[in-house]
Parts: sequence; structure tokens; C-alpha cells
Amino acid sequence: MRSLAAVGLASALLLAACGGGTTTPSGNPASATVAAPKPDIKIGLATAKSGAANFYNPQQSNGALLAVEQINTAGGIAGAKLQLIVEDDGSVRDQGITAFKKFIEQDKVVAILGPTLSAVAAGAHPVAQAAGVPVIAISNTGLGIVGKCDYGPCDWIFRASLGEQSAVPETVKAATQKLGLKKVVIIYGDGKFELDDLSIFKEAFKANGVTVTKEIAYTAKDVDFAPFVTQAKGETPDAIVASSLAGAAGKILDEVAKQMPGKRVIGGNGLNSAALLSNANAGLIVVGTAWSKASTDKTNTDFVAAYKARFGTDPDQFAAQSYTAVNVLADALKRSGNATNNAALKKALEGVSSLATPLGAFSFTADHDVKQPTFVMTVKDGQFTPFQ
Amino acid sequence: MAEQLYNAVFIGSIYALFALGFALVFSVLDILNLAHPTVFMLGAFIALFVIGTLGLPWFVALPIAVLVTGLFGIVLDRVAFAPLRRRGAPALSSMISSLAVTLIVVRLVELRYGGDFITFPAGAVPAFVFRVGDATFEGIRLAIVVLTVALMLALTYVLRRTQLGRDLRALAENPRAARLLGVNVDRAIAATFFVSSALGGLAGVLLAFAYNTLDSKMGVPLELRAFTVMVVGGMGSLPGAVIGAYILGFGEVASLVYLPTELRDAFAFGLLFLVLVLRPTGLLGQKSPDRV
Repeated sequence: MRSLAAVGLASALLLAACGGGTTTPSGNPASATVAAPKPDIKIGLATAKSGAANFYNPQQSNGALLAVEQINTAGGIAGAKLQLIVEDDGSVRDQGITAFKKFIEQDKVVAILGPTLSAVAAGAHPVAQAAGVPVIAISNTGLGIVGKCDYGPCDWIFRASLGEQSAVPETVKAATQKLGLKKVVIIYGDGKFELDDLSIFKEAFKANGVTVTKEIAYTAKDVDFAPFVTQAKGETPDAIVASSLAGAAGKILDEVAKQMPGKRVIGGNGLNSAALLSNANAGLIVVGTAWSKASTDKTNTDFVAAYKARFGTDPDQFAAQSYTAVNVLADALKRSGNATNNAALKKALEGVSSLATPLGAFSFTADHDVKQPTFVMTVKDGQFTPFQ
Repeated sequence: MAEQLYNAVFIGSIYALFALGFALVFSVLDILNLAHPTVFMLGAFIALFVIGTLGLPWFVALPIAVLVTGLFGIVLDRVAFAPLRRRGAPALSSMISSLAVTLIVVRLVELRYGGDFITFPAGAVPAFVFRVGDATFEGIRLAIVVLTVALMLALTYVLRRTQLGRDLRALAENPRAARLLGVNVDRAIAATFFVSSALGGLAGVLLAFAYNTLDSKMGVPLELRAFTVMVVGGMGSLPGAVIGAYILGFGEVASLVYLPTELRDAFAFGLLFLVLVLRPTGLLGQKSPDRV
């Protein structure tokens, strides 16, 4: 974290130092009025480089870094360079709050991306809301991130990460059509994310005329999932729904494969995890995602190629989302006309409309939530591929 | 129904296998070793290292992991418990020092393997499934069930019928008297930690094989249960811990089958509470220090 920030700072100083010797736009070096170089536009990125969610990095940082580098190479924002300052949110609320305070009070950033986890965001976002600094949430999919927030008004918060309220209904619709679902059983965990997903799934199945014959709860303390799947099997459902995080989902997948051969496992964002790709039964998954590496949209293929060239590995969804967020921010900065006016930037962000991004055509809703296509996927040969 | 019975036996076996090592250290040394879940996790990750990094098969990884975790147990005692024992520190101190070891080891494992769960390389884990009618049985699960009972019997035999067992029982009763009677106390303590940790490591490897998944916090959900089954079975009784584990396993599955899911934990732990009300020393517990 510090090394990235240090590189950013060093390059800013270097640019500032070099800037003094550049010519004026008139191209006349002898001119007495040498225009001062435009100050860098600082963006903060709070991301989990350590702690429970550390596996979202380095991709989440790399995506943002690539976007900043590309924008600067292309001339920056009206001649000003973007400067990315990365801080570790430690996957914990207090460290996320500290990072946000540093960005606002010390670094004087124009906008903040992050933090990684929804639970950390619940603590950090109010800090930016109170200070009137725009935030783009790049990986928070839970309820209450934008629109109606528990801590009061949250009109300075935007979200570039597809929420479950958008992804789950699309997933259910596609699964119902393609699998001919009549009845399902939901196995769900007792965490906030899982319970949120449970209510969204129930509503989506109802809307699609599918009966949820049984809801089976497990707790974070449960070790073995065989009894839950055996219980579900008794209902002879057409598919199992796993409202769970990746760890439990892996065990549910294995049990469904063993006990109910041929049945699929439909899930929320918890199943959208690279860690599940190596599961031998990952082919059973049906999940709605915010991004598809296989998308042939030119913005996406360019992004995938550039990322691979820069970092030597394929990007994942979290890289695509942080890359998109920086581009969305840059688009707003260009249109706001004044990088130091937070209110103008907020208004410009609200005006982002059908911007071409690796996630597809990108806009914000009136609630500042992302409006983008949902990619309903399954897993084939260890890769997320479109569910057909 | 038969399938759920089998599920309950398996879950009980997991709890028992984990609790055996935990109960052994407590029964002999009166130490609540809070690093036991970490030893369990370490066993699984050593197996992963041997299979994934060294490219050796699972049947080589299993004994290596058991041996290394056993040795780790001896080191754990020397680092976290022996210095406190020498100074007569209160029991709480050793709980804190074992917690410290846990934090350090978990962080080290996360530095190498990350905090998310991971799986063994494809095809590296023993997989053998057979069906009886509509029901499915897995070789590794059956092995866990059989091994748990066999290990409980073997441990009980060692403690009751061998010289080492007699030494351990003397140690459990009174370390000072045991030393005066010529018991090599240091060796007996080292043996206790070796066996306890090797059992923890074995449990970790077998469970990671059964689920083909492991993560740095995989031992945490088992810790509270191991503690519970120890109390219910009778503090210090190994067969008691195993019986307690099966009661908990059956209670959990029965409540899933017969009750609304919200009441599941309340039922399982209520059952255990009932046992304690009827038998405050636990099912096989004894009031005197004549344990093990």
C-alpha cells in the first residue's frame, strides 16, 4: 500500500519538477509567462490488502492503476494527471474509516473508491458522506450501500458494483427459462449477506412463478452440509439455491453432485468466486455476475489485453469493476469542468450515461446504483462461461 | 432417514476426532489448548504442501502431516506452555499463550496461501463413492467413522494398559508425586502433546480430504463443539468426549429433520444442557482427580 502511494507521490513530485521546464501552450519557450502545471487530481482507493478479504487484491488495485495509467497516457483530465493513492482497509471497519479520513483530511482527494467489503463500507462511507466527498463503491453488493442507507442520507455514495437486487432476478429469470424450474429449495446461511440474498431470491422466484418448497438454514459454525442437502432432496426440487458465501457453496455443490446428480445450484454473488473454479462440481453453478471475461465487446477485449500485458495475468471481475470506476470518474471529471468542486463532480457523476466500459454500457440510476447488463454464467473448464 | 442417520454418525465422528486430541491434553495436563484448532488446520495445509508443492501422493502426505503436527505439538509445549508451567503461572496464562501461537501460525499460513479457502489439485484427493439404493457413501467418510472409533479404543488401551499410560495417569493425578515415583515427567508431557497434536493434524487432513477444501480458519467452528462435548462427556474422559460428540451430532441432525431450522442450535445445545443438569460431572466424568 505504502509503496504504491510512495510511487504515486514520487511520480507526482517528478512531474511537478519536470513541469516547470515545459513550454507554454503557445510553444514559445522564451515567453515570460510560463503557465504553472496543473496540479494532479488525487483519487483515493481503500482496498483490502490484508485481512479476511485480502484475496480481492492485487486485482482490485491493479484494475484502478491500469485505468489511471491509461488516462494519464492519453493526456489526463484537461491536461491534469490523475494520481491514485492506495490505502489498505485491512478488511475491518476501523481501518477503513481511518483510510477514508486520511484521504479526505490529509490527501484532499476529489473522490474515493472502495472499501472492499460491504461491512467496512458501512463504517467508512458515512465519513465521506459527512465531508461531501463522492465515493464509488467498487465491490459492495449488499443492501443499504446506496439509496436507502442505515446511517441516514447517502447521496454522495455511488455504486459501480452490481448489487444483488439487480443480479439475482436476472439469474432467476434465466435459470427458470432454461431449466424449466417449477420448485426449488433454498439453503441459506445466517450472515447478513446470505439473509439479504434469501429475501431477494424468494421475491425473484415468486415473480417467475416458481415455488420455494423449503428454506433450510445453516449457521457459520456448521461444518458438514450433507444433512442439509439430504433434507432438500426430500422435496424433490428441480434445482437447489445456495444463498451462501463461497466456502459453504463449495460444500453444497459437492453434496448436490453426490446426492442429487444432474441438479444445478443457483446462487448469488457468493458463488461468483475464483476460489470455486477449481471445485470439481463447479459446472453445476448458475450465477449472475457483473462481468464476463468472454464478452466480445471491444472495450472489454481491449481491457483484458491491456491488463494481461501490464500485469502478466488475466483480470477478474474485481479488476474490471475498479477499472470501470476510475473510467466513470474520469468521464465525470471531464464533464464537471472543475476538479476541485465536489458538488459539480457529484452532479457530473449523476450524469454518467451509457458509458462504454468492460462491464457493458454503464449508467447510474436515480439512487446512484449501477445500471449495467447482468451476465448469467456457469463454469466450464475452470472458467466462468455464459450460461446457455 | 437411513441417510440422515449416516450423516449424523459422520458429523459425530468429526466432532469426536477433533475432540480426542483436545481432551487428551486437558485430561493429563489440565491445559485448555486453544491452539488445537490451529494444529488441526496446520495438518491440512501440510498435506496440501506435500501434495501441491512437493507433488507427492495423498498416502504419503497423510503420515507426513501427522508426524509434523505431532512434532509441532512438542514445540508448542516448549514455547507456549513449559515456561509458564515452570513458573507456576495460572491456567489463564497458558490459554492466552496458546491463543498467541494460534494468531501467529494462522497469519503465517495466510501469508503463504491467502485467507480464502482453497482446494487440493484436481484428482489428488482419495475419492471413492458407492451407492446403496438411493443413498450415497464415500470411502473417506467411512474411513473417518471407523478410524474415530478405532483411535478412541486404542487411546483408551494405551492409557489403561501400557507403561506410558500409567505414567500419564500418574502425571494427571499429581506431577510432583509422579516425578518422585520415577516417572519421566518431561517425556510424558512431550508424548501427550505429540499424540494430541498428531490426532489434531490427522483430523485436519481427513476433513480436508473429505471436503476437498481448506482454509486458515477451518478449525474455529469445531473448537466450541469440542469444548462442549468434553464437558458433556465428562471433563477428562476420552470415551466420554466421543460419546458426547455423537450425542451432539445426532442432536443437530435430528433437530434439522424434525424442527424449524431456527431452533436447531437451541435444540442441540439444550439437549447437552439437559445432560449436565442430570449429571453435573458429565456422562463419564468422575469427581475425584482419578481421570484419564
